[in-house]
Amino acid sequence: MTLWFIRGLLRGVVTTRYPVRPDASAASLPTPPAFRPQALTRPTADRLVGICPSGALRRDGSVLVYDVGRCTACGRCAAEAPHAVTGSGEFELATTDRSTLIKEIPVREEAR
Amino acid sequence: MTAVEPKTVPGEVTMFQVASPHLEAVVRDLAPALRLADMFASDGDATTLRLVWANDTAGQAGYVITETPLENGVYASVSDIAPAAFVEECEIYEQFGIRPATGKSLNRVMLPPHADLPTLGHKPQAEPEEAHAQHTVGGQAFEFPFGPVRQVGVESLYYGLVTSGEEVVDLYLFTWHKHRGLEWRLQGKTPEQALFLAERTEGLSAVALGWALAAAAEAATGTWVPEAAERTRAVALELERLYNHAAAMAALCQSTGLTVGQSAAEIALERLLRLNARAFGHRYLFGVVAAGGVSRAPDADGIRKILPGAYGEFKRASEALLGTNSFLDRLEATGVLTTGQAKDLGLVGPVARASGLATDARRVPGGPYGDETAIAAATAGDVLARFTVMLAEAAESVRLIGDFLDSETGSGAGAGIAELPRTSGTGLGWAESPRGEALAWVELGRDGRITRARLRPASARNWRGFDDACRSQNVFTDIPIIEASFWLTVAGMAR
Repeated sequence: MTLWFIRGLLRGVVTTRYPVRPDASAASLPTPPAFRPQALTRPTADRLVGICPSGALRRDGSVLVYDVGRCTACGRCAAEAPHAVTGSGEFELATTDRSTLIKEIPVREEAR
Repeated sequence: MTAVEPKTVPGEVTMFQVASPHLEAVVRDLAPALRLADMFASDGDATTLRLVWANDTAGQAGYVITETPLENGVYASVSDIAPAAFVEECEIYEQFGIRPATGKSLNRVMLPPHADLPTLGHKPQAEPEEAHAQHTVGGQAFEFPFGPVRQVGVESLYYGLVTSGEEVVDLYLFTWHKHRGLEWRLQGKTPEQALFLAERTEGLSAVALGWALAAAAEAATGTWVPEAAERTRAVALELERLYNHAAAMAALCQSTGLTVGQSAAEIALERLLRLNARAFGHRYLFGVVAAGGVSRAPDADGIRKILPGAYGEFKRASEALLGTNSFLDRLEATGVLTTGQAKDLGLVGPVARASGLATDARRVPGGPYGDETAIAAATAGDVLARFTVMLAEAAESVRLIGDFLDSETGSGAGAGIAELPRTSGTGLGWAESPRGEALAWVELGRDGRITRARLRPASARNWRGFDDACRSQNVFTDIPIIEASFWLTVAGMAR
């Protein structure tokens, strides 16, 4: 404690690094989804749009529009289509620009 | 004249049809013996008024629901007999435009005046009353407005404080600032979809409200939940109680200016939230309860490993506080609610139990809780009594979690889910949240979708006791202490 105090005075920095160490519980927390475009077909995308309870997903032509700002990380999409959706492991989403939270994921056209 | 007996079948819900002209007599018969737990209306071919009555007697606990179709938009004034009903009379007026026949003045409690939000039925012909006190009362007191924006991250809530300078002469609340129309939003949803919103009604009662709504849907469809899943729900519910009581302890310290105690309680709170994440994958236990069961089994090894340390932190903080006279002095004789007041207002949870009322939804037979579940109680009715009740409940929660994980009757707490048939029906569900009895009632259409859902978190009930507690010879600085001891959410009221 004393060392920490002296080091802080000498360096002029009195806060710890962030994060000071990875939080063990973080691994078990729900995080927003990450999509695999190669597995994301149009029917799959439509199914995901249909089950998203917070309206974070919509399909615009051949693009799945994903609004991270509306996502509650409920995990329903990953449970519905585990081949196309996984947890991103990312939960530090702060941004100064709202538009950076809107992601566009290409939807694969089915082979005709 | 009436065939409604003030008796319940243990663990069951008994339904009675009561014709509108007989409603007043029925309420007079039931009110002395049962607790009026909720009152709500629904629109169909006719507007129907439903009263939910609870029997809190150990071994006989159960519910009675009376259904009264209304013909001309008025009904007997229930709150003149059971004062607990006044808030619901106001809500029903705002939502359905129907009112007690006495024409009594009804306050705005739900819908903000500045927004044209959808209602469940017809809009009222006249706007509800605004409950402002006169700016000066008898030349001695005046209204001191406080809120709705308050300090730090506290929820939006407007206090109308009527004071003569320091003492609280009167207090009323505006709770409508964050109304979200949840019951309206639940219409047309499947029970599975509805759970998502029910969990988010208060946030801090995700398990309790989720369980209540799931149980209501299961009752409506005649679905039996696997026993191991019921025990998993109970484990999650007790974890929810533990972290809420730790948060209440931190809030009590904050309101009494005890920063060291607050930090100690918040360390316990953080450890309990991390335990939740380990046990169920969510710090606030969202997504555990599913319609027909639970979505996952708890990480039993993780709970056994982490819970003793986290609760040890809780206990160290609480024991230190119980040995701190400057803390206890602020709690003792503050915010007193008598047994009579708690009973008249139909209060629930630690607030009611600290005032000598042994009401606890865990006593209702049929669930995973056995007869040996200890119900903490006190009689002083002050903040200290509420605090000691919470501490005793936390200890009991730890014991219960151990019991559920090692249940001899089955395989402990596990995953399991029964599919809900898509069928019509009505059902009532309940769970004892950290704040008290949470109720949910659903009516399902033939496609299994909700035509009317009623959510009654404990907060929706207990705020009505807050002004009485604040009036009992208290001064301004006691109000945050009383609020912390109630540990309610505004969101639960402003659903």
